[in-house]
Amino acid sequence: MSEYLLLIVSAIFVNNIILARYLGNCPFLGTSNRMDTAIGMAMAVVFVITLSSATTWIVQEYILKPFDLEYLQTIAFILVIASLVQLVEMFLQKSIPGLYRALGIFLPLITTNCAVLGVAVLSVESHMSFIKTLVFAFASSVGYGMALVILTGIRERSATSPIPVHLRGTPLGLITVALLALAFLGFAGMVK
Amino acid sequence: MRELFRMVFVLTAICAGAALVLAYANKATQPAREYQLLKYVQGPSVKKVLKGYDNDPIKDVIEVSMGKDEKGQPINIKIFPGKKGGKMIGLAYSSSAQGYHGQIEVMVGVDMNGTITGISIMRHSETPGLGARVVEPAFTNQFAGMKLSGQLNLSARGGKIDGVSGASFSSQGVVSAVRKALQLFPKVKKEVS
Amino acid sequence: MAAVVREFTKGLWKEVPPFRLVLGLCPTLAVTTAAKNGIGMGLATTFVLVCSNLIISILRNAIPKKVRIAAFIVVIASFVVIVELMMQAYFYPLYKILGIFIPLIVVNCIILGRAEAFASKNSVLPSIADGLGMGLGFTMSLTLLGAIREILGNGTVFGIHIMWESFQPFGIMLKPPGAFICLGLILSIMNWISSRQRSH
Repeated sequence: MSEYLLLIVSAIFVNNIILARYLGNCPFLGTSNRMDTAIGMAMAVVFVITLSSATTWIVQEYILKPFDLEYLQTIAFILVIASLVQLVEMFLQKSIPGLYRALGIFLPLITTNCAVLGVAVLSVESHMSFIKTLVFAFASSVGYGMALVILTGIRERSATSPIPVHLRGTPLGLITVALLALAFLGFAGMVK
Repeated sequence: MRELFRMVFVLTAICAGAALVLAYANKATQPAREYQLLKYVQGPSVKKVLKGYDNDPIKDVIEVSMGKDEKGQPINIKIFPGKKGGKMIGLAYSSSAQGYHGQIEVMVGVDMNGTITGISIMRHSETPGLGARVVEPAFTNQFAGMKLSGQLNLSARGGKIDGVSGASFSSQGVVSAVRKALQLFPKVKKEVS
Repeated sequence: MAAVVREFTKGLWKEVPPFRLVLGLCPTLAVTTAAKNGIGMGLATTFVLVCSNLIISILRNAIPKKVRIAAFIVVIASFVVIVELMMQAYFYPLYKILGIFIPLIVVNCIILGRAEAFASKNSVLPSIADGLGMGLGFTMSLTLLGAIREILGNGTVFGIHIMWESFQPFGIMLKPPGAFICLGLILSIMNWISSRQRSH
């Protein structure tokens, strides 16, 4: 039990997927301007990353390894992720239209989010069990969502402040992320 | 209908083409990749345990079959020879035994008389600050110059090796791995000569 | 011919990724802890970009519109696997440093972006020029950012000590906060430069 707790704390705070591992930057800056877009993105990310990490683990264990095809990992994983997102989109549209509308355009956009492929590759590289992979993926994506929401809160506030013209938009966003990353750096060393 | 057929055909053709190219690339780069893996993962340990060689032990690696395991699968081990002037002067190969927290993998270097020239711990999951201290030279240097004898044991068991204090399981694990390696030595020597 | 040259040069300044064309941020921030890593990553990405632009341009009329993204992904991923295999075989230390960001080249928005925006609509030679220009521009940007972070964070560039004896390196430059700050400041400088160009 305690090792799962450790895994979760590590994935959310110590090795935060975006603030410490640099995964998922492009959509991070793009969707952190308004709170409702940020929340939509965060939900979509948690959903897709957890689901796709589970699926890619199965593919790795039962298809790639037994047939000695581990060098095809990259191409197999990205195809699985792309197809999964497509299937999930179609399924949600028919069965849970409320959730589909809430996630909006972020669902298809997530295919190219490097955090998705990144978390999938990280979990198979660490040779984790299926349950651990699920926990790791869920915790990592929650860490992403959390960082996203915090950043959006800050950016929404700073939008009404006087900012030098050249720093407006992405540059200030990046500097804000830098400060956020600095804060999270304080968690380093908490978990060995 | 025509459109669906066309989509499926094009995608299948692209995937098939990709599969062929990648299978070829995989085969073509295999020897180079294996060499790099050996060079950077096992290379440092091999270099530490062999003495006085002038060849590239990684390049001259010899793969030797050591019988079958319980499932009937052949066991192959890699022997890294140290040569001087073309003549074999030492062999390095790895062996493993149970420590406190799992297997400890040890690279053992022996000269052609079966005397240890050095050992190096390659992989372990022992407790940091306790069992993990078996990697320190203060412990590993003790093995150099020993042969497979009663002396190659922890002092607690009548031998000459001082274990790491508070880590008797880990120390014993290393000793067992080294003894296992030396027990294999006659057969190994025969296979590479 | 002039048109082809123009496609090449736009990737080097006017639309240079990631500073002007804000794409491909993940590898930019992650691997630029040293100038050498920046070059390695940039060249690997350039290779994939040029090859995939080439193949996609050749096949552009054969791929039905509905499945084009899937087809692009297969082509791009295949070249990424080839790069992975070649790096494992011939550049193992660099491969270990770049880590998971090599397979992540496949989701580098620059490559999919250029495939969709350019290679699928233009002939072979301009597509190659576009890929080469963007790729080299990306490489230069990564190397620049890597050099800055390496100098400030380590006192070296390409492994050579160039700072004065008593210089205390800003270790933070090699960590995430340093990466984000450097990129943010560079982007604001680029904004400043282009606003000055506009006013002239």
